[in-house]
Amino acid sequence: MTLNQVPVGSTARLASTAAHPSSRRLAELGLRPGADVQVMRRTAGGGRLLGLGHSRMAVDRATLRALDVERP
Amino acid sequence: MSSCHQTVSTSTGICGDAATVTVALVGNANVGKSTLFNQLSGARQQLGNWPGTTVEVGRAEWRPCDVHGHELPITMLDLPGAASLNAASPDEQLTRDLLLSTDDTTRPEVVVAVVDASNLARCLYLIAQLRELQQRLVVAVTMLDVAARRGISVDAGLLERHLGVPVVAVDPRHRGTTSTLAGVIASTLTDPPPAARPHDFDPIDPFAEDDERFTWVQAAMGAVRTRDTYSSLTWTDRIDRVATAPVVGPLLFLAIMWLVFQITTVVAAPLQDALGSLVAGPVSDASRAALTTIGLGGTAIEGFLVDGLVAGVGMLLTFVPLMTLMFLLLAVLETSGYLARAAVVTDRAMRAIGLPGRAFLPLIVGFGCNVPAISATRVLPDARQRVLTSLLVPFTACSARLTVFVLVGATFFGSQAGNVVFGMYVLSIALVIGVGFVLRSTLWRSMGADALVIDLPAYHLPMPRQVALMTWARVQAFLRTAGGIIVVTVAAVWMLSAIPAPGSSGSLADVPVEDSLFAATAEAIAPVFVPAGFGDWHATSALMVGFVAKEAVISSWAQTYASQEPPDPSAPGELGQQLRADFAESSGGHTTAAVCAFLTFLLAYTPCVATLAALNREVGRGWMLSSIAISMSTAWLLAVAVFQVGRLVS
Repeated sequence: MTLNQVPVGSTARLASTAAHPSSRRLAELGLRPGADVQVMRRTAGGGRLLGLGHSRMAVDRATLRALDVERP
Repeated sequence: MSSCHQTVSTSTGICGDAATVTVALVGNANVGKSTLFNQLSGARQQLGNWPGTTVEVGRAEWRPCDVHGHELPITMLDLPGAASLNAASPDEQLTRDLLLSTDDTTRPEVVVAVVDASNLARCLYLIAQLRELQQRLVVAVTMLDVAARRGISVDAGLLERHLGVPVVAVDPRHRGTTSTLAGVIASTLTDPPPAARPHDFDPIDPFAEDDERFTWVQAAMGAVRTRDTYSSLTWTDRIDRVATAPVVGPLLFLAIMWLVFQITTVVAAPLQDALGSLVAGPVSDASRAALTTIGLGGTAIEGFLVDGLVAGVGMLLTFVPLMTLMFLLLAVLETSGYLARAAVVTDRAMRAIGLPGRAFLPLIVGFGCNVPAISATRVLPDARQRVLTSLLVPFTACSARLTVFVLVGATFFGSQAGNVVFGMYVLSIALVIGVGFVLRSTLWRSMGADALVIDLPAYHLPMPRQVALMTWARVQAFLRTAGGIIVVTVAAVWMLSAIPAPGSSGSLADVPVEDSLFAATAEAIAPVFVPAGFGDWHATSALMVGFVAKEAVISSWAQTYASQEPPDPSAPGELGQQLRADFAESSGGHTTAAVCAFLTFLLAYTPCVATLAALNREVGRGWMLSSIAISMSTAWLLAVAVFQVGRLVS
């Protein structure tokens, strides 16, 4: 499944980010395979606010669709 | 021994020769890098674009004391924020180029890498890369207070051992930071640069290089302790529940934009008017009186000095309150952390027209005045996006254009004037979208709609000192780079109107406007506008004056028709009759088509010389000239199209 399918309020582990055109930049920001991502809430414009440890980042819908995740 | 002080000094200090040490500040976005720079440099900083680029670098001379009380002459550079050395924007590319430069005179002697304690893992990737270079490096840890509130503590000693370079905790609120950091920088200079860390990976595997770095970062994270009792919802999370929410977020954003717009128009206007009348009244009168006492009263020199130079400086001054307010608002929005949220809520709407979310702010401000709007493009983190937005801002219908729309609308369309003015605003928005589309499909074809993946920093209450320093540095930079263009152009227009045209009877500075070189120039240019239906010297000279400032268009008409300037532009009176007669003549009876073409041209061509000065400051002379070319050609082509189509229809 991809990150956009993860319900708000739950956590998922990133499996692959290779489908994203700037996966290297995502990795630098902490979004890399193995990272636990908390989907915190919806943002204006259809994206999600993600919690990655203590940092918070806003990600658009297209990016969410490109991130493969595993649910525990 | 020289005394040690914190001011700029020409003394060489005890450290020997006068050569200063170049120290570069680097770091991810939102780690407090510029805050640290402001603290170290105070009001002595200079902001300016790095030569040959549109990327802004802060520079300051810093004279701290080392541990022995000796003065250490340092040139500080505040390099653009960079998440890594894998440059993803022209701004990051500049940082990369300077740090990887093989030229010893370009490469900084010491790099101070600023990292955020509350977000350490992400900041350490850049450190991993910097440690692959043989480079003197000091790691400055900020936001320890934010980290502590989140239950995170960083063991600086342990971190130092792992990174292999000095680690200093810094707090922009405490002045002690300055001397600690200076001491560490001084001690790194006594030793040769540390050896690069071993960085071995399998060159066949494309992921191996980054994997090695991430493993190194993970090991360094052993220096970080996190308390388990950490409560997951911070103040920032609570505010973001509103600020980024689907419906409320955009509403809050619009409310903040409304406030920015009000402050840069309604609040700034009386200040601008007051300064304007001060220069036009008492200052000009005093200058005339002074010139009369030294026997220059009534001469061409008096005309040049008072109506040329003083008027030019006056025009520049009227922009100071407006620009100060704009820079103040930008500093507050930037340091509070709200700008990142604004980018989130506007992303989707702006992406629909191919622009990044942050371009919303400069474009909105542009409807008040284009000059601060050009400066507001600084909120965009990518130089290409800044240039693109700067080229689009002149198409936003600023309030100075509004008065001309109202006068022309009332003269030719009577009760329909309101619809005409509304139509001009619709056209203005269409031009921003249309020209943006054309530019992206020609000049910046490679600039796709980048994904929105944006770090949301913790909210901060802006510190007054910090905001004041940022505002002051920007106002100074504006005056330095924009001043010349404005003053020279105003003086040049005065010269044109003071010099009699060849063959006319007037004398220097005493010539009726229709006999001046200015009118002769307008006469020479007028044929260009024949296909647009307004090839008349009155209309052309109004457009020439409008190139300097749109506010002057109506008074130019009044002057060239030797008529009274109407006190209310919606009641044009005698001037209106003269305009109607001339437009009817120049268009061969197709008055409406010609007036629509004229309004279109007025909307689209270069707004004013102050906007050009701001463009020169922000994106450099090349793009400023490109902006003139783009605005002029768009305006002319559209005006001709409007007239020719209008003529066929009517």
